[in-house]
Amino acid sequence: MSAAEPVLADVPERGPGGRVPPSRWLSARLLRSELRLIAGRRRNQMGLLVLAAVPVLIAVAVRLSSPREGRGPDFLSSITSNGLFVPLAALGVELGLFLPLAIAMLAGDAVAGEANLGTLRYLLTVPVGRTRLLVTKYASLMIGALWGVAVVVLAGAIAGIALFGTGPMLTLSGTEISFGSAVWRVVLVSLYIAAGLAALGAVGLFISTLTEQPLAATVALMIFTILSWIADSVPQISWLHPWLLVDQWMAFGDLLRDPPFWDNIARGLWVDVAYAVVFGLLAWARFAGKDITS
Amino acid sequence: MSFFSDHPKARWALPVAAVGVIGATALTVNQTANADSGLPSRTAAQLLADVRSANVSSLSGTVVQTSDLGLPDIPGLGSSGRPGSASSSLTSLISGTHTWRVWLDGPTRQRLALVGSNGESDVIHNGTDVWLWSSADKSAVHHKLSTDQVRAGSAAEHLPSGLPSEVPSTLPSGAPRTPDEAAAAALALMGKHTSVTTSGTASVAGRSAYELALTPKDKTTLVGSVRIAIDSQEHVPLRVQVYSKKLANPAFEVGFTAVDFAKPDARQFAFTPPAGTKVTESDEMAARKGDANAGPTPIKPPADALARMQGAPTVVGSGWSTVVVAPFTLPTSQQGAGGSAADSTAQLNGILKALPTTSGAWGSGHVLQGTLFSLVLTNDGRIAVGAVPPDQLYSALAAK
Repeated sequence: MSAAEPVLADVPERGPGGRVPPSRWLSARLLRSELRLIAGRRRNQMGLLVLAAVPVLIAVAVRLSSPREGRGPDFLSSITSNGLFVPLAALGVELGLFLPLAIAMLAGDAVAGEANLGTLRYLLTVPVGRTRLLVTKYASLMIGALWGVAVVVLAGAIAGIALFGTGPMLTLSGTEISFGSAVWRVVLVSLYIAAGLAALGAVGLFISTLTEQPLAATVALMIFTILSWIADSVPQISWLHPWLLVDQWMAFGDLLRDPPFWDNIARGLWVDVAYAVVFGLLAWARFAGKDITS
Repeated sequence: MSFFSDHPKARWALPVAAVGVIGATALTVNQTANADSGLPSRTAAQLLADVRSANVSSLSGTVVQTSDLGLPDIPGLGSSGRPGSASSSLTSLISGTHTWRVWLDGPTRQRLALVGSNGESDVIHNGTDVWLWSSADKSAVHHKLSTDQVRAGSAAEHLPSGLPSEVPSTLPSGAPRTPDEAAAAALALMGKHTSVTTSGTASVAGRSAYELALTPKDKTTLVGSVRIAIDSQEHVPLRVQVYSKKLANPAFEVGFTAVDFAKPDARQFAFTPPAGTKVTESDEMAARKGDANAGPTPIKPPADALARMQGAPTVVGSGWSTVVVAPFTLPTSQQGAGGSAADSTAQLNGILKALPTTSGAWGSGHVLQGTLFSLVLTNDGRIAVGAVPPDQLYSALAAK
């Protein structure tokens, strides 16, 4: 979430004052090169392939099996009526592990990876302040989150529509909405999930500033995510649940009611913003004062 | 800013401050009680009159119900993996937190939606049609009301009627679902057994409200007090809290978290079973109408496991410490009763078998000690329920 930006607005640029970039807090050129780096990494491309494979796998499996009432991931039994349930079922499945893992990989590379390769030093010689570098890194993580979700949704939508067609979508409330508004609901779901992953990216960015081992940062963020899921499933500590980042992630189903139910979505977004602000500031406090030795 | 360059450690103050601000904001938002909202004071009698004269025919809103009845965890509720995945089932009402969305438009159109995680159960009443929709198994049940039933009032009004002088929340289907129903049930309990006072004002769902406190004069009951928040303008109950003597927080609470008294969109009450839905036509309404004419039975359970109670219940004691003793046999799974009924039967059997055993001069059996009520199921096929500690139930059972 971009909520971290206004808070950082008091911090001055340390770059030479002559050139004023198009956005003061985001170096477009740096962001472009960062995104090119992320997109160019072979492991990231493989990761996207895996993300895209899951909805295709789900769609083909449901197509091949006989339609039956069964327990399974949410929305799975609705797929046959509308292809758009394929991306929703896939998001529900991948939100537990694969999507956070993708963010963890990106976050691990963001600072710790550069430090490990020794390129962080050179990056800091670029006339861009550390704060701006960090903001750019976070912006690339947010774009990465959106990217990952978009790949899942697009692959799922293509596979789903090809195999199951574009019938009216059945909402959880038992009403049917047209394909056009169903597309909008799926877009809203994607944005909501991307917001949650972007908040997770802020946590990852902070962890990434703590270490020079990208793998350590990735593993640490996965541990954070899995611990959050575990804590969220223990009813005895229900007082903690509203404070957990993942608590409202699965609430994306509320957007599929008629009318959409916004309470949990709003709560989830507030938690996302809070995590992004706190961990963004932590990352800033750590990174701006950090000695870069490698 | 040169300050942060000179004092690098000071940077850490910013995230700490952010945590402080976020924590404080969250706590303030959650804090619903406010000291004085500048409302003119009203007596309990005035408030009750206000409630009787309240004329709200349409509203829409969100109702959150929390219960901490001290019941054992119900096996099977979390069985499908993710916690709370079964929370949209209508039989799971008795434990935990539940969110309802409510739309009312006059006596002929109501809709009630139980919001679960990625599931929803709806009750939609529109004219002579009552639909029950469950997203979990994509099934719909259709009741057709006769015209005189429609004239007699809403489907919602059928639910709380005949609530006995025992705690309404002992039955899943008898649990009040809207503040309206719960207040009606609590007000029915008043009289010589209860002292009714006003306890200041409250803020519920962003609206200012008067609070009515009902305190049992009977010292043996488990019920500490019942607090009803009444909207200061529309005079409808916005929240009902039932306090147990065992807990500091309400043992049962149902209240609006958002409410709007404007007329809801007619679209909310339209229900056409979507393609691929299992639709069950039900003639039960007609059958139950016959029962209703037979006289005011204390409990009107729906066609679920509890309907297997046979014989007439005996009532021991009066007021808040009333104990109901009834013959009861463990239900067996019924065929053709529908998936949810069979599920709840299995759940009920599981719960009853897991209860601690007890024995005394009255015999032996299983006992359930809740926060608001106790229940004893004897091995000789009797059940005793009351809003009292188990000792009172034992003496009631022995007296028979």
